[in-house]
Amino acid sequence: MRTFWILVRYEWRHFRAAKGLVLLTGLVLLVGLYGIYYGTTEIERQRQHLATLPTLAHHNVEELKKKFPGPADAGDIGYYHTTFAVHHPTEWASLALGQRDVNPYYVKLRLLGLQGQLYASENVNPTKVLSGNFDLAFVLVYLFPLLIIALSFNLLSSEKEQGILVLLLAQPVRPGVVVAAKLTLRLLLVLGLALLLSAVAVAWARVPLDGRVGVWVALVVLYCLFWFGVVAIVTALQRNSAFNAVALVGAWLVLVVLLPGLLNVYVDATRPVPQGLELTIKQREEIHGGWDKPKSETMNRFFALYPQWRDTATIRERFVWRWYYAFQHLGDESVRPLVAAYTDGLRQRFALVERLAWVSPAVNAQVSLAALAGTDLPTHLAFQQSATRYHDALRAFYYPYLFRKVAFTHDDYAKEPTHTFTSTSELGTATSGLWKLLVSVGVVWATGLLLLQVRPLNPR
Amino acid sequence: MIRSIAKKELVSTLRDRRFVVLSVLMLALLLAATLVGRASYRTLQRERQVAQQTVNDQFHHQPNRHPHRVAHYGSFAFRPKAGLSFLDAGLDSFTGTAVFLEAHQQNSVNFSQAQQASSLIRFGELTVAFVLQLLVPLLIIFLCFNAFAEEREAGTLKLLLTQGVSLRRIAWGKITGYGQAVALVVVPALALAAWLLLSNESFANSPDAWARLGLFGLSYVVYFFLWIVGAVVVSARQQHARTALVLLLGCWMLGGIILPKATANLGANLFPAITKAELDAKVHEDAQKGINGHDPQDARSAALKANLLKKYKVDSEEKLPVSVGGLVMAESEAYTAKVYQQHFATLNHTYERQNALTVWAGLLNPYQAIRPLSMGLAGSDFAHYVHFQQAAEDYRYQLVQRLNALQTSMGYGDKERKLDAATWRAIPTFAYEAPVLGWALGYLVGPALALLLWAVGLSWLGLRAIDKTSIV
Repeated sequence: MRTFWILVRYEWRHFRAAKGLVLLTGLVLLVGLYGIYYGTTEIERQRQHLATLPTLAHHNVEELKKKFPGPADAGDIGYYHTTFAVHHPTEWASLALGQRDVNPYYVKLRLLGLQGQLYASENVNPTKVLSGNFDLAFVLVYLFPLLIIALSFNLLSSEKEQGILVLLLAQPVRPGVVVAAKLTLRLLLVLGLALLLSAVAVAWARVPLDGRVGVWVALVVLYCLFWFGVVAIVTALQRNSAFNAVALVGAWLVLVVLLPGLLNVYVDATRPVPQGLELTIKQREEIHGGWDKPKSETMNRFFALYPQWRDTATIRERFVWRWYYAFQHLGDESVRPLVAAYTDGLRQRFALVERLAWVSPAVNAQVSLAALAGTDLPTHLAFQQSATRYHDALRAFYYPYLFRKVAFTHDDYAKEPTHTFTSTSELGTATSGLWKLLVSVGVVWATGLLLLQVRPLNPR
Repeated sequence: MIRSIAKKELVSTLRDRRFVVLSVLMLALLLAATLVGRASYRTLQRERQVAQQTVNDQFHHQPNRHPHRVAHYGSFAFRPKAGLSFLDAGLDSFTGTAVFLEAHQQNSVNFSQAQQASSLIRFGELTVAFVLQLLVPLLIIFLCFNAFAEEREAGTLKLLLTQGVSLRRIAWGKITGYGQAVALVVVPALALAAWLLLSNESFANSPDAWARLGLFGLSYVVYFFLWIVGAVVVSARQQHARTALVLLLGCWMLGGIILPKATANLGANLFPAITKAELDAKVHEDAQKGINGHDPQDARSAALKANLLKKYKVDSEEKLPVSVGGLVMAESEAYTAKVYQQHFATLNHTYERQNALTVWAGLLNPYQAIRPLSMGLAGSDFAHYVHFQQAAEDYRYQLVQRLNALQTSMGYGDKERKLDAATWRAIPTFAYEAPVLGWALGYLVGPALALLLWAVGLSWLGLRAIDKTSIV
């Protein structure tokens, strides 16, 4: 055991003397800090945007109060009044932005048909989202494997090439101990860096210290361990440095670049979701058809859904708001199966990605970190569901005014329901990712150790 | 001499089993990416064509309606995929596909592919452009990193020089040989792409698509050339093959992965864009300064009515030959559209400033020069997207104003009446005409120059550096 620590200490000195490697490690540290800075500012900007929404809604109410100084028809208010369904990020979102920049984080709502409003997209620069986010998750998933490769591609081969290994093994030291000591120092270094960055991020983003910190740490540690396992396998093959470099970069390329791309193609091909376009077209047709249908037909269909308003006055006017909102809602109702199929399709897509994530630990880590941060597709779908419930609540609030012909007064604005939704960590996805990662780690390490056992170290 | 060195490099490359395995893999990937891109292009294109046809039919088959009812019924514009986008999907997955066109407002373009995907899509998509831009340079690196180091270590470099060949000529010979090897991998894929284009009748007869494909191929030739030259120069300047390899891989990672992300993110941080909610609020505020089509009490509507009465020399609205409502609508539409356009232009200007950083980075990083060039030629870049948005808005404006004119011509009391169903069949539907190459080239001068600068600079400076390299 003493020789082991002597060797570790020797490796440490060796590392400090290698200026290039120290520089590289420092660079990764800086890049990691930039990632944290970028992630937190991005989420902070979203928070600021969300904070301006109540002001915008307030302005809208002030304007309406001026426009309708006395008691007003609730139908007019519902038509002109805009409110927002908002999706607040978790503190974790700063660490893994996931799809939060692609999916809108608020929806502007009026009392009109929901399906025509729910999919409005936010202003985004497509060039920027194509390039992707430089957040901590990116640094950990993409760049850390490269650091690990740079630190350890010539673990034994450089000593062999310089003829030091022969001298070293002439001492009373087992070859396994040498390899273990070399790997241990690099492992400590990389894990130290990863955990330091995670700690900085947790403090910077003011992440609450609960069990999720443990899941994050476990994911990060296991992911690094996986790449050290790959290093162990390549080292056990005992080839020259150039071969090792090519093999390790090749592994990185396949796992981080190629397989995710192929997986994408596969998921798109096997789970197509064309219903998005279809449902907006159908909803519009249904809503605008409402103008041309006899009012009694529309109202009877509506009353079948809301029998509590059946006893209200028969419509004889040319236009009345409750009829207008009735056919708006019937438009939504008519596409209900399409909406369900659309969201189901998206859920299935995600489930497939989750199921196939074991193919590449990089995909697995990315999906798990985004799930932990609550920034992936399922969270967005949950937000859309919550916005739908909010729209239901708005309708429930306005219907009594419309159907009982109650005047809408200035005091009533304050009674209108408001919406808030904060994403939650998808712990199920994150922990299942953790298990899959554990299996991957087990497989690579078992293979590496087995290879080391089978092929005794050849010092020349 | 250059030719025989080139031949030697090509032959020994083809004998190298590692290279053969790698190139076959690369070729397979390229062919697969072409076919997959083609298949997904066709699915998306069909989907959008069907959707566009459906809404066009729906528009033409409307019952008797009041024109303003029709203006609110509106229509949709679906963005067709550009002909070459199966080679480079560019921004297509991140831009919306459908926009609802209606009176009074401009809606966002919704339903992007990325919104219907998990964060897996952020790893990048496997397209031909992806293989050409990132994977082929890797192949070049593995091919060239020991171009000189190997000869130096084996002592053959000295032998070559005693024959009276200059280092520079050896370098050109090697560059030619490696170029031929890379061409063996890339040309079949581009030939397949050309064949696929030919099989599609609408493109086979379009000189525009062929010119785009030609320039597309040409820019990649320049891109590969500069990678080969760069790799050979690095290989000559480094003492060991190992350090040359590590250096080249480092450049690849920095240029291909880290810099593009960092510059795009920095651009967004430096020039923050306005949110949709704020934009809408501002447009609403500014539009209030104009006439409001739906507010009969509006003071400006009253003034317009008074002017009309004076113009037609009548004393009441009933006697006017035109509908005041229709004219008010037309004027309010003209005003709000102008307001929208101003804000929209400001937003796009912000994006252009964000993107400018990426374009300037092309001077530092050839990957960031080829990427916009390739997208632009494939018709899937930002400029092409804005062109579509603009075309959709132009159509929307003309449609709504046409309907307002119909309302105006209905005269007094138009609200009580409807126009015949045949009226709607006479109105043209949205047909998008993708911009021609000449239009696109204007946006591509910067990246093209950056790429050429790289190629020329590397061949000039790099090869001068080779002259001074050590032989042993």
